[in-house]
Amino acid sequence: MKNSCLSVNSSQIILFFILDLKNVLASFITYNSLITKMITLQNIEKVYRTSTIETLALNNINLNIQKGEFVSIMGPSGCGKSTLLNVMGLLDEPSKGTVQLDGQPVTQYRDKELARLRNQKIGFIFQSFHLINDLTVLDNVEIPLLYRSRNEGSSNGKPREAYAKEALAKVGLSNRMKHFPKQLSGGQKQRVAIARAIVGNPDIVLADEPTGNLDSVMGNEIMNILQRLNDTGTTIVMVTHDEQMAKRTHRLVRLFDGSQVL
Amino acid sequence: MITHLFKLIWNKKKSHSLMIVEIWASFMVLFGLTTLIVINVGNYRKPLGFAYENVWAISLKNNQDTTEVANKIQRILQKLKAYPDVESASRMSANSPFSSYQTSNSVEYDKRKVSVDIYATDEEFAKTLAMQTVTGSWYRNTDSVGKYVPIVINQKAKEGLFEDENPLGKIISERYKVVGVVNTFKAKGEFMTDKPAMFELLKADQPWNNTMLIKVKPGTDAVFEAQLVKEIATMVKGWSVEVDYLTDSRKNQHNLVLVPVTIASIVSGFLLINVALGLFGVLNLSIARRRGEIGLRRALGATGSGISTQFIGEIWVLATFALLIGLLFAAQFPLLTVFDVPPSIYLTAIGLSVAIIYGIVTLCALFPSRQAALIQPAVALHEE
Repeated sequence: MKNSCLSVNSSQIILFFILDLKNVLASFITYNSLITKMITLQNIEKVYRTSTIETLALNNINLNIQKGEFVSIMGPSGCGKSTLLNVMGLLDEPSKGTVQLDGQPVTQYRDKELARLRNQKIGFIFQSFHLINDLTVLDNVEIPLLYRSRNEGSSNGKPREAYAKEALAKVGLSNRMKHFPKQLSGGQKQRVAIARAIVGNPDIVLADEPTGNLDSVMGNEIMNILQRLNDTGTTIVMVTHDEQMAKRTHRLVRLFDGSQVL
Repeated sequence: MITHLFKLIWNKKKSHSLMIVEIWASFMVLFGLTTLIVINVGNYRKPLGFAYENVWAISLKNNQDTTEVANKIQRILQKLKAYPDVESASRMSANSPFSSYQTSNSVEYDKRKVSVDIYATDEEFAKTLAMQTVTGSWYRNTDSVGKYVPIVINQKAKEGLFEDENPLGKIISERYKVVGVVNTFKAKGEFMTDKPAMFELLKADQPWNNTMLIKVKPGTDAVFEAQLVKEIATMVKGWSVEVDYLTDSRKNQHNLVLVPVTIASIVSGFLLINVALGLFGVLNLSIARRRGEIGLRRALGATGSGISTQFIGEIWVLATFALLIGLLFAAQFPLLTVFDVPPSIYLTAIGLSVAIIYGIVTLCALFPSRQAALIQPAVALHEE
């Protein structure tokens, strides 16, 4: 505080106070933006119905994910982790409750609006990579940008390919661009999937057991990439069975039989 | 997106090769069929050039009788003209309208040679078939004075021989003098090509050219026909007399054209149905196999309709590969003017075939692609 160490008259005090007030306000705004809620789930319930059976997959889930957070979700198989991730990723509609993404309630959104939100705000990483075997690594990474109009995606006349190359460079796969997925190892495939998830510069990355199909070395490598991504401000929500991986995240959410226990 | 689809199909070209061959084969068959149809429709749209209603063709055969044949034919003609039910009667060569006979020869004017269908008729021919001349007039017996035979030609013959010159009074092949021009004359019916034709005045003293055309009053029936045949038979004993209604002969001529086209259409139809069913099955299978990919694309920002469009786009790309190969073959026909068919007909047929192929593949892709659009992304991703 500069005013404390200066000898000044009253008008200068007022001026400094105004200057300080601006700083305080700026700090407040910055802090506020840091704690902005990225995903808000309120009273989420998901029921799967067939003609004979009704299964409650998620029961009264209330969860806030802050911007820049790295959250892991754990729980036994069938407890609803993936369902929760699908609801967060707007891939599945909750039977009850509301979902807010970046402050916008999206429950009533139509298919087109949901698709646009998924494309622009969310990146997905899956346990089984979900790469298209008939496309090269570069073409796989370009896919999210195909679903953007020119003014949404390749801005400043930058071609899609350039964005995809940048994303591949971030995961250290620049030398594998022309390869096909079948020519890659599991760890490399997952790095391609991460490049595809981040190519559109999303606010959130949702990772469903990203290290589940990998050995511990590869798993750690993927986790390092995710942490680096989180360090640049990307919110990450990761489903995992691995306690060690979960410990490396900011917060752990535990589910049991569709309910949040932690 | 188009580049993406081309890459996707190109990278899977081996597994798609059979489908490409199938679409290519269908295109080639379809091209043949549409060429045939376009030719016939083009012919059909041109006027016939004469009125055949209530006109009968009476074919006379003198058989063993060789005495005064020409004289007898002329007497029959006079007798026919005398019937109150006959509005007009004309004598002509055996190649009467809708008959199976054809006579053609080359004629020449100023080093331009044209092959023409030749009809020998009398002066009543135009009246009997209600033909109108566009230039000059139909010949009369009085026009045969001098060494030249008076002729009437059609527009096609005029274009071939004289181009923009006035043909009236011109001598062709040092034998014929043009006295009139008619528009078209398609003796084999509406589906016949509008070919160059020439009508020459027949000589009454010739023992051949023994076909009579009579235009009867509307409502004249078979009773008159029987009376006619009986009376002619009485006049010329030992001759055979055959009466054909031009309306019936026209139908027979149409059948000669329509039956092969119909058979070709049925064969092509079956082929196209087979291809369509094949494509439908392959697409359904492909969608079932690619549920994970569909889920992924939905997750990455594709809408349901976007998925549907993608699958239709893929089949269009596949069809485009097949059609590009097909076009390489089909383009040779207009380039080399195969079968003397104008290039415009081949180009129209190519356009139609391409449109039909795209139409069929779109129809085949519609249902499977809609099914793909309905796949829930969360479910599809979970299944993988």
